[in-house]
Amino acid sequence: MNESPYLPEDATILKITPMTERETLFEIKLDNYNALGHQPGQFVEVSVPGVGEAPISISSSPTKKGNSFELCVRAVGNVTNVLHGLKEGDKIGIRGPYGTGFPVDELKGKDVLFIAGGLGIAPLRSFINYALDRRDEFADVKILYGCRAPCEILYGDEVGGWKERDDIRYHETVDRCPEGVCWEGNIGVITTLIPGIDIDLENTYAVVCGPPIMYRFVLMELDKKNIPDERIILSLERHMKCGLGKCGHCQINGSKGEYYVCQDGPVFNYADIKGFEEAL
Amino acid sequence: MKIIKKDDLDSFVDELIVNDPREVVGVKERGNKYVFDTLRSSEELRLDYDVTILPPKKYFLPQRETLLKFRSNDKIKAEPENDVIERIILGIHPYDLIAIQQMDRVFSEEPEDPNYLKKQESTVLIGVNMSKASERCFAGSMKTAFTDDGYDLMLTDLGGRYAVEIGTDKGKELLDKSGVTLEDASEDDRKLLEEIKNNLKFETKMNFEPGELPELMKANYGNDKFWEENAENCYSCGTCNLVCPTCYCFDVKDLMEVTLTEGSRIRQWDGCLLEHFAEVAGGENFREERAERYRHRYMRKGLYLHNKFEDIACVGCGRCSSQCVPDIADPAEIFNKLKEGEI
Amino acid sequence: MKQKIKPKVAFFDFAGCEGDQLQIANLEEKILDLLNLVEVVSFREIMKEHSDDYDIAFIEGSATNAHAEERLKEIRKNADLVVAIGACATIGGINSIRNKQNHDEVGKRVYGDNAELSELYISWEKAKPIDAVIKVDYKIHGCPIDRDEFLHVVESLVVGRVPNIPGYPVCVECKLNENVCAFERDEFCVGPVTRAGCDSCCVNEGTRCWGCRGLIDKPNEEAHMEVLEEYGLTPEDVMKEFDLYFTWQKEARENE
Repeated sequence: MNESPYLPEDATILKITPMTERETLFEIKLDNYNALGHQPGQFVEVSVPGVGEAPISISSSPTKKGNSFELCVRAVGNVTNVLHGLKEGDKIGIRGPYGTGFPVDELKGKDVLFIAGGLGIAPLRSFINYALDRRDEFADVKILYGCRAPCEILYGDEVGGWKERDDIRYHETVDRCPEGVCWEGNIGVITTLIPGIDIDLENTYAVVCGPPIMYRFVLMELDKKNIPDERIILSLERHMKCGLGKCGHCQINGSKGEYYVCQDGPVFNYADIKGFEEAL
Repeated sequence: MKIIKKDDLDSFVDELIVNDPREVVGVKERGNKYVFDTLRSSEELRLDYDVTILPPKKYFLPQRETLLKFRSNDKIKAEPENDVIERIILGIHPYDLIAIQQMDRVFSEEPEDPNYLKKQESTVLIGVNMSKASERCFAGSMKTAFTDDGYDLMLTDLGGRYAVEIGTDKGKELLDKSGVTLEDASEDDRKLLEEIKNNLKFETKMNFEPGELPELMKANYGNDKFWEENAENCYSCGTCNLVCPTCYCFDVKDLMEVTLTEGSRIRQWDGCLLEHFAEVAGGENFREERAERYRHRYMRKGLYLHNKFEDIACVGCGRCSSQCVPDIADPAEIFNKLKEGEI
Repeated sequence: MKQKIKPKVAFFDFAGCEGDQLQIANLEEKILDLLNLVEVVSFREIMKEHSDDYDIAFIEGSATNAHAEERLKEIRKNADLVVAIGACATIGGINSIRNKQNHDEVGKRVYGDNAELSELYISWEKAKPIDAVIKVDYKIHGCPIDRDEFLHVVESLVVGRVPNIPGYPVCVECKLNENVCAFERDEFCVGPVTRAGCDSCCVNEGTRCWGCRGLIDKPNEEAHMEVLEEYGLTPEDVMKEFDLYFTWQKEARENE
């Protein structure tokens, strides 16, 4: 109990890759040279001294080479705005990894249908890349990815690689495409992709991450496909201020009880949170 | 059980104030109310108080507390901070002692929170049984009017003399070291103590067993009309959270000196009744409606913390009821109404 | 956080008592820290020089005539960031009390026969907060402003973050300070609907909150009016409680 759980580890920004107007990818290394030791789907608290901390999901797979990890950060609050102004080589603080990640072992040998909306690709990518790096451990892999417009597509180069692979199926869509922009993919919200997908009902898990509004509609479509609730995995966003299950900010509730998203989640099995009116 | 004369208790307290290196805290008057505060003399100590404005949790989880200090020369260095002051706290009512035990469970759950735990461990807790209950206190119904543990010493006013029950070695040591004159309690003293306890009356009551609360709350989560009606006059001011001995939610934020060379990360009491409590960075608020936040507090008290720690997280102190300006925060009243409405 | 640039700042005053600028002038030793962060190019209370080349404009006082509107638009053009300081600038302050009175009568009462000033007055219907005339980026509330909060805002803007201005009511700070509630002292108080950030300074001193930092975003005014009446105020007195500082905000809310 001597060490404060609130003390971040020193870390260095190795590489900054601007992705869209709002999102930037940061490659980060702990100054003690240790690997972060995370599971796909977990998050860290990123600390900028004097500005604050923000919970950010880890976007790289633990199978990635080297001891660094990646965070895809949208500039949306104080910490994330200041992060966007930092340079390669700048120091930040990292606490974590925290939370319960994707049930990777449970999904081994199964068909996995990834459904990502917008920034939801960031946490999902940690699992997608894990599955791609250990492709033989999973059966069929399908990825559905939707954004509002082509300019908001994240990890463009990597996504390009997914398209080329013949051992996975990748489908993308945008809500709308401004005139004059070249776009060969589907146009329409992400739910429009779901009806056309072939699913082996006995063996498929859906892994979903996106903005709150997306969940409602995606869950309806998955229900139409008869995927049982217990084979739908979700990742929820809350403002975890401490990451330790203490501060109370990330609690979600329903008549069944409560969850602390920072410890019990952010990844949940849909069957476990279905009765939680505040979850989705 | 021991007996100490009122005068001897006063000298014991004055001795502690003068000679003990620890800070001596007790219940004092503030205006027409009471607060836990540093004692300068035993004359200030009011063991006959009804209830304090804030519970003693402020000594373990201070209103504002520094978690980290930042110093920067060419490079910013963060250091953990834990401002532990050793204290002796006098005059804690049983419901507050029970609340402290609940808080202990929260902050000692892995990962432990040293900022709370070290402060708690550095404190001697001296309880006092209520000589009168405040108007809104319903500890009698919550089974928190008395406690057999959670204190180092427990006092009861027997009229000119106090019964002293020793709860821990820490408490015994404090007495032994002081050399204060203690008599062994007689059979009559024990009878008198029981009588005093039995005669403690509560104006406010919850009309059923607290053990029934989790089921009752579960059944009424979806009772939207009830929550909306009762929350109509809620200010969303968080008073009920802030004065509650079992509320522990906090906000974390950074402060920077204007020199930009020094700063700190602090935590400050927060409350789930406050409008922005469940808001995330993009602006989405997961409990946007007044009624949702209002319901949340009762669910926390009656159900959620019970699921997690098997505690009913309302100890019936009545602080929320008496300090809520529109008077809509009385758990006894709300729980009774829900019970009456039960189908 | 490292500072990247040393922004140029200018102070401007409109209808008000200049008490907020006085708070800044009175920062004492901290004013030197402030001057390490920013370059002050215009500040009538403490210097003679003036420049129109500035990045951040701090504006005190309400807009009360057409001339003010012109000046404000000019300031907005010159500044990257506009910060309203003090109740008159952020919420119309006590200047707005006149908005509820007969415009002509107020004019006669104040200006009598002074035709020139009276003309300026007559041409402009209301006393307005700055954001009713130009876009305001940040507000430092209070009558007067709190010096520490002012420093916090300057420091935040320099390092590029949004200042931490509470959205909760004064009751929060009052509880943290363990004050005896004004209502428990047979006083009245508008703390439950007023934005915090003052550390409940008035109540700490044994008095009550008058509401100088303005209404919170979603005040439960109906509940508070009901409470005030229950505590013995007449409906007229209740209105007065809300008129001292909230006139402009209340009107704006009603027109929403």
